[in-house]
Amino acid sequence: MKNRFLKLFLAIVFLETFPSASAQTCEVDLSGEWRFQTDVMDFRRGSLSPRYNHKLQETITLPGITDDYKIGYESPYRHVDRLTRVYEYMGPAWYQRDIEFPADWKGKRIFLYFERTHWLSSVWVDTKEVSRIDYISVPHNHDLTDFVTPGKTHRITVCIDNRFQYNTHKWNHAHTEFTQINWNGILGEMKLVAVDPVFVEDMQLYPRISDRSVEVRMTIANHTRKPFEGKALFTVSGNGLELTREVPVNGDGETVALTERIPLGRDAKLWDEFDPNLYTMTCRLVTTAGGSACEHEKSAVFGLREVAQGRNHVLLNGRPVHLRGTVENAVFPKTGHAPLEDAEWERIMRIVKEYGLNHIRFHSWCPPAAAFRMADKYGIYFEVEMPMWGKDAEPDEARYDFFRREMRAILREYGNHPSFVLYCNGNEITGNFDFIEELTSDGRKLDTRHLYSGSTARTRVPSDQYYVSQQTNKGPVKVYEGRPSTDWDRSVESDVDVPVISHESGQRCVYPDFREIEKFTGPVQARNFELWREMLTANGMGDQAHDFFRASGALTVVEYKAVIEALLRSSKSAGFQLLSLNDFPGQGYAPVGVLDPFWDSKGLVTPEAWREFCAPTVALLRYPKSAWFGDETFTAKAEVYNFSGSALRNAKIRWSMTDSAGKTVARGSLKTQTVGVDGVFPVGEFSIPLNKVEGAQKMTVHLNVGGEIGNSWDIWVFPRNPSLMRSDDDVLYTTVFDDRAKSYLAAGKKVVFTPAPGKVKGRRSTFHNHFWNPIMFAWAPMTIGCLIHADEPVFADFPTSYHTDWQWWDILENAKVIEMQQTPRELRPFIQVIDSFDNNEKLGIGFEARVGGGRLLVLAVDTRKKLDERPATRQLLESIDKYVRSDRFDPQVELDEAFIRSFVR
Amino acid sequence: MNRKTILLCGFLLTALVGGAQELKMTGSAPLTQVFGESVESDEPLPMNDLGMEFGYVLYEAEVTLPGGDAELELANVRDYAAVYLDGEFRGTMTDSRKTLTLHAEAGSHALQLYVENIGRITYGPEILDNSKGLFGSVRLGGEEVAGWRITPLEVREADTESLDFGPLGPCNVPCFRRGYFDCAAGNGVYLDVSGWGMGEVWINGRYLGAFWDEEKQQSIRIPDDVLETKGNRIVVFDIRNNDPDAAMRLSDKPVFK
Repeated sequence: MKNRFLKLFLAIVFLETFPSASAQTCEVDLSGEWRFQTDVMDFRRGSLSPRYNHKLQETITLPGITDDYKIGYESPYRHVDRLTRVYEYMGPAWYQRDIEFPADWKGKRIFLYFERTHWLSSVWVDTKEVSRIDYISVPHNHDLTDFVTPGKTHRITVCIDNRFQYNTHKWNHAHTEFTQINWNGILGEMKLVAVDPVFVEDMQLYPRISDRSVEVRMTIANHTRKPFEGKALFTVSGNGLELTREVPVNGDGETVALTERIPLGRDAKLWDEFDPNLYTMTCRLVTTAGGSACEHEKSAVFGLREVAQGRNHVLLNGRPVHLRGTVENAVFPKTGHAPLEDAEWERIMRIVKEYGLNHIRFHSWCPPAAAFRMADKYGIYFEVEMPMWGKDAEPDEARYDFFRREMRAILREYGNHPSFVLYCNGNEITGNFDFIEELTSDGRKLDTRHLYSGSTARTRVPSDQYYVSQQTNKGPVKVYEGRPSTDWDRSVESDVDVPVISHESGQRCVYPDFREIEKFTGPVQARNFELWREMLTANGMGDQAHDFFRASGALTVVEYKAVIEALLRSSKSAGFQLLSLNDFPGQGYAPVGVLDPFWDSKGLVTPEAWREFCAPTVALLRYPKSAWFGDETFTAKAEVYNFSGSALRNAKIRWSMTDSAGKTVARGSLKTQTVGVDGVFPVGEFSIPLNKVEGAQKMTVHLNVGGEIGNSWDIWVFPRNPSLMRSDDDVLYTTVFDDRAKSYLAAGKKVVFTPAPGKVKGRRSTFHNHFWNPIMFAWAPMTIGCLIHADEPVFADFPTSYHTDWQWWDILENAKVIEMQQTPRELRPFIQVIDSFDNNEKLGIGFEARVGGGRLLVLAVDTRKKLDERPATRQLLESIDKYVRSDRFDPQVELDEAFIRSFVR
Repeated sequence: MNRKTILLCGFLLTALVGGAQELKMTGSAPLTQVFGESVESDEPLPMNDLGMEFGYVLYEAEVTLPGGDAELELANVRDYAAVYLDGEFRGTMTDSRKTLTLHAEAGSHALQLYVENIGRITYGPEILDNSKGLFGSVRLGGEEVAGWRITPLEVREADTESLDFGPLGPCNVPCFRRGYFDCAAGNGVYLDVSGWGMGEVWINGRYLGAFWDEEKQQSIRIPDDVLETKGNRIVVFDIRNNDPDAAMRLSDKPVFK
């Protein structure tokens, strides 16, 4: 659209003159240097400067933000709960240019357009304030027509005020310092636009798929005060289609509505995630009014698609879609603001697709047009929200009016985009839900191209067409953690009166990767990382930072596979929103992503491996447990999640089991069958006797559907180990550190001390790494998984990697974490628990040391409770026994007996 | 949504109210059947200390009152409490309404608070304090209440088909209530829970969902495979509503306040 306009660029910085403009639309790019002044004291507006038309005394280059030019308060701090913004600025800031308005703009409507700014923009023409706009989510388009004289030079002064204009929640992602910062500046397109006085003010396109047509709902503005007549020439192009339609127009009011349905023909293509076919509608309006000719052109991209509320799913073009989404929270530390250009959004959409997702929820903010454009192109379903959170629905008429305006502006500005599928007012809202119902109901009446929801994760309202929540009135629908079994889902809980989307699932914390510090070259710096790294180093574990990162990261991948598969098994769920594919750098810093805040991979999982469990078609397996005895038979029920758009015809379904060397030990097929589409389909059951598995091993169960779709699950098989913890003259097994234990040690013998967890002071042990982050949710036990020193000989007979996996479940859920910061630095527990990154103390469940003249191994794991049902704990004890009876058991670090006494009750 | 479903219901123990089939309660089962292990403590303990993330807890204490009005003041109640004195409902309290006037004769009385945890705090300055239940000071008539018996109620886990029910009595304190009903059509049916307080409901042993009268939504979708044509059992647990005549209703559409 832009290219069709006569576009002029400026050569002169402060005094601009333009070549004469013919009829039609003229655009003048206003990017470049502007005069600038800060106004930290908020006094200029009330001072005499505007009255005397003072020249501002500094300069700044726009589009840009104050941070780009080191304007503001240089923060000396190292914030712990967020990234540190290096140059803070919140207040009015003034931007100015002298602009000559061409003489032949006489009679035209003249607009000053800023694509995105924060939050109030006010415009002075010379000494007079003429316009104020306070939208957050859409462009500011100031009408200057009545205040400028074509042929004259005016001093245009703009005040951008990024203070909170209404009493809204300070965490919302349109403003928050937690993610994108509350910047001051002007971003994206900034221009003067002059149009003829009869022009297309608004053009909304309503596709109808039953007859492959589109209805144009247009508002024509007429500022001539005279009747006008002429024609609207519509052109639709795209996908080989090129059609035109001419419609006569006339009217004599200030605005005239025009509705026209345009059939696109039988061959017109629908839009969806698999085939994101786009069309461009252009309207050329050619009119005369009072003898003068007017011409204006407006165009919009649209897709032929309809959205409807299904029984449990969102329906797109009549078919259920399952939303596999991530929550986007305006995390853009490179720039401190959301990108306005297509390229960065294109990169994000490609990554989203690469990780098997089809959906993004924009949490408490609405992205700029480039995001919608790229989602249209790549077939991503958006949920967008206003900057609304928490108590924002408590009574406050000024705030209510802001939200009423903002919602309408979002619908009008982005409503044509086919990717705009879901609208929600905001996040976790409390207050007056009659107001939330009013907004939701109004939205539905205004624009039927989207589905509407009142609030995520809070009170339901009658106009809800879907519901994003942690829970329904039937129970929890969010999934934060996996389980060692896969035979469960959230279907029953999701089956309410509207489609239910699982809210902010996942949120498993990874230890920060301090190597990322160098990547923060923009307005925010990871000074909190520096603090944490210093603390870790001071505590003697600086060399383990990377190990903590990769061990907790691997556990997060294990959890996400389990979380996502549980949500895919939930056939009555409309989908899920993972929090999140990338890290969230605020609210205490939540490194919960497999991507860093820059949308770069952390190297924890490849997109290919991720797509085995998160894609349009996924092979699923329900089995009762992950740790087995070798005399048991593994049983599993196979299912196929298929939302790929087409059934899998005559799919061969094969399963196999491989050992840790990759050798296949069992294989078989289920019935060849056609697997349906738009659902989760049971495809058969199989069982594998485990008696051929030798010793203790990690085995992998593979399921392949139709050759292309494959997924796999690790299980662990252990011998019964009937004889455990037998003390003899050389080795003492004990649950109490008593005189007998001390006498063994004094005699230079070996002691394996397995105190009952209840008798150990210290922290609760858990399989899971911390939820979100330990700074925001400071609840026990504040740990982020375990680093397993897998190469040490104590694990010679226990199959494990450097990180915990499901075989560790019964060990860690029946253990206690010993606080070991007071032990010698060289002492590293072989089961090392990773502490919260804002505490960084040494923690362990298993360690060894020289104590009291003998060799001591401590394992703070319960060795009594239902031990015959805990194959992994038995195997760990067996591996420990072999180790302590070998001459490899030779602890190097001397530890005072007092430490042992210090942690037992 | 299936709005076409027409309810063709029989009436065994039901009556028509505004076209909706009413489900009357005829039996009751005492809560003692789902009592978890009680803990004695001088101060009230938060649910977290009982190892509970969600659900209901009964806090009980003996109090001595001088007679007349006495203010019950809670330092923290997360998130909702139904207050009973000597087995009689006296009102509800939340973290924004932490005082309640109790009128009583002079002497010793049994104070009971049934507390439910609606959810976790997920943002805001209170986020560092995610304790649930009752904790901190509890004062009655200016005196600290000490000596609590704290009992987790294993309500959600209950197998309502195997609870022992007797005939429905005056049911002054929270209990399970049961009714029987017939229903011809089983698809697209909602349970209208309006008029009740806060609690949980089951049909034919299947957990159906939770309700709270402060929610706008006052209905729970009944899964299509739950209802039988004859002899359906509905079981309701409510910590606030003790009206023995209270009934639920079937509806062919969602119900909102």
